[in-house]
Amino acid sequence: MRRFLVIVLLLALMGGFAFGVNRFFALRKAHVAAATTPTLSRPAFVLPGTLYIAQQGAIYRLNKGSFTDLHLPKIGTWMQPAVVPGTTNFVAVLRTAAYSEVFLIDGGGNILKQLSHNATSSSTIQLNHWMFWPRVGSDGQTFYVSYDSPKSTASLEIEFAVWAGSLSAQLTAKQWTDPFGYTGGDVGAIPMANGALLYSKYQISGGQVYSRLAIETRARANPVYLTDAETDCGEPALSPDNTTLAMICTGGTGLQSTHLEIATLTGTKLGTPRVLVDNCLCASPAWAADGTGLSYFAPVDATGHFQLWWIANAAGVTPKAPKQVTEGLDFDATSPPAWSAT
Amino acid sequence: MIALGFAVSGAAGALAYFFPAITTAIQDTGHTINRSAQSPPAHPQATPVPDAAPGQPFTVLLLGSDNDAKFSGNQVLTQSMILTRIDPATKHVVMLSIPRDTYAPLSTGGTDKIDKAYLHGGANAAVTTVENAFHVHIDHYAWIGLLGLISLIDKLGGVDVVATNPVLDDFYPADVSGNNPYAYERVAVLPGPQHMNGTLALQYVRSRHGDLRSDFGRSQRQQQVLLAIRTKAKLLGLSDLPDVANAMAADFSTDMSIPEVASLLPLASQITLQNVQQVLLLPPFTSSAFIGGQDVLMPNWNLILPETHKYFPAA
Repeated sequence: MRRFLVIVLLLALMGGFAFGVNRFFALRKAHVAAATTPTLSRPAFVLPGTLYIAQQGAIYRLNKGSFTDLHLPKIGTWMQPAVVPGTTNFVAVLRTAAYSEVFLIDGGGNILKQLSHNATSSSTIQLNHWMFWPRVGSDGQTFYVSYDSPKSTASLEIEFAVWAGSLSAQLTAKQWTDPFGYTGGDVGAIPMANGALLYSKYQISGGQVYSRLAIETRARANPVYLTDAETDCGEPALSPDNTTLAMICTGGTGLQSTHLEIATLTGTKLGTPRVLVDNCLCASPAWAADGTGLSYFAPVDATGHFQLWWIANAAGVTPKAPKQVTEGLDFDATSPPAWSAT
Repeated sequence: MIALGFAVSGAAGALAYFFPAITTAIQDTGHTINRSAQSPPAHPQATPVPDAAPGQPFTVLLLGSDNDAKFSGNQVLTQSMILTRIDPATKHVVMLSIPRDTYAPLSTGGTDKIDKAYLHGGANAAVTTVENAFHVHIDHYAWIGLLGLISLIDKLGGVDVVATNPVLDDFYPADVSGNNPYAYERVAVLPGPQHMNGTLALQYVRSRHGDLRSDFGRSQRQQQVLLAIRTKAKLLGLSDLPDVANAMAADFSTDMSIPEVASLLPLASQITLQNVQQVLLLPPFTSSAFIGGQDVLMPNWNLILPETHKYFPAA
């Protein structure tokens, strides 16, 4: 009897050992941590003003070191917020599988108005439209957006042009830019204080696709290029005083690396660029509303989740070193945060 | 006896853990390249070229196929064909994308788009066709299907890619997501650095309608995503093999043996992006033409062969 018990005990131990070995390997799997909800985290330090920032289809407000979920309806992916100057409102994109719409939203997350109507009830899906990178001019009324129009349902050609209109009237009253065909088009428009428009224009040369920063002083004027094709700079962010431009450049290598650069901007003349962050996956730079620094997104490690970073005095002669603001979050790197002063 | 019992039980625990990986590896690896089954090459080689010895530079043909519901079994085209040269000593890699529409003699007979070689004769035909056309020796091949690519990227937790430009497509095939594989869906991949899941990454590498460079643009994006997968794969270890094997399952095959695949994993982690050279056969290497009712790319072999042999030894 005793011998039987010993054998049973040994068999149980061996079974447990087998299970333990199995779990040993299971626990050694590469662990890609799921992102934390922003409201469950706190930034490393307090940033000036208020940021509206997108993560995994939701928009959060970051103010005084605390995230608040705006609880926008879960009917698509919310992204690319942009403040309406002179108000506490902002515009944002709601993206679905086949189209995207722009909404006017108040600072508390209440939807005030659906500004665009890009969805079709037709079964011809090509009648849908995309709108991305909405911006509102300093008058709080003039509206700019990248819009996939004009296009034909019978053609494969589709690219973004920048359109201008009014928040309270026709949203896309006039086409502002003329994109190069089959390149992706013109994106990331920023209205300037002098009435001109700064944006990123895609073009294809020598078999390579490049982005160049350009300014158009009036609708459908010839673009004045600020950067050349080889530097492949895009994602412009203009300082509140309109004197310093931040941008993301790849150097045209086609490899998986970017630089965050800044340069002075006088009229349509760009100064010599300075690299603030080299060899990174930096994206979506955005100036603080008071101009005291520059934020951007970049992953911390190979897990690939984009965190918020901050460079104090970025436009100064001696900018501070980049500091990581958030940890464990997963911001939408294609969605620059909107920054208001209050 | 007791120690032996524990050793056996430990081995059983490990075997149970790695069983999916082992079965998948046995099914998907070690397929031999049968060149003799193909037509004689247009430029016969004097003697067969032996495969590269361990530690020596070697050439792999990477093949990618739409294998959605429109296709049955192995009857697929290879929309992606990337000739890759890897030098283990210098950790240098060259990736040469072969346009899918390249009009070339197929090893199975006749002349057609090069992506049809796999359709007519599987990996053997694809390898032999490329060897004959480009006058190179291919040591190994690796084939992956679209669904396997999505699963692999999702299993890796997504990949980080610097999207080169807005990729817009109103006629993107809805063959992965929808019920009708012949329907279309709309695609908009925004430019710049971003984290992509498997579906978005597939849209990025597969769309070509809105790109002036058509297949060339797509080839460049395919190389980008391959490099992003390599970066992410550096995080993986032995314990991740069952998950990866499950993800790839029926959507992967190679002639490399399990030890050969295993030996490549540490090498992949040692290669830096700066040591990866990307080559595209843009005009004047190729030119557009319309032959037999289809758009094709006519190769200028007088230019292509010297360019190819800068990176891949002539055979």
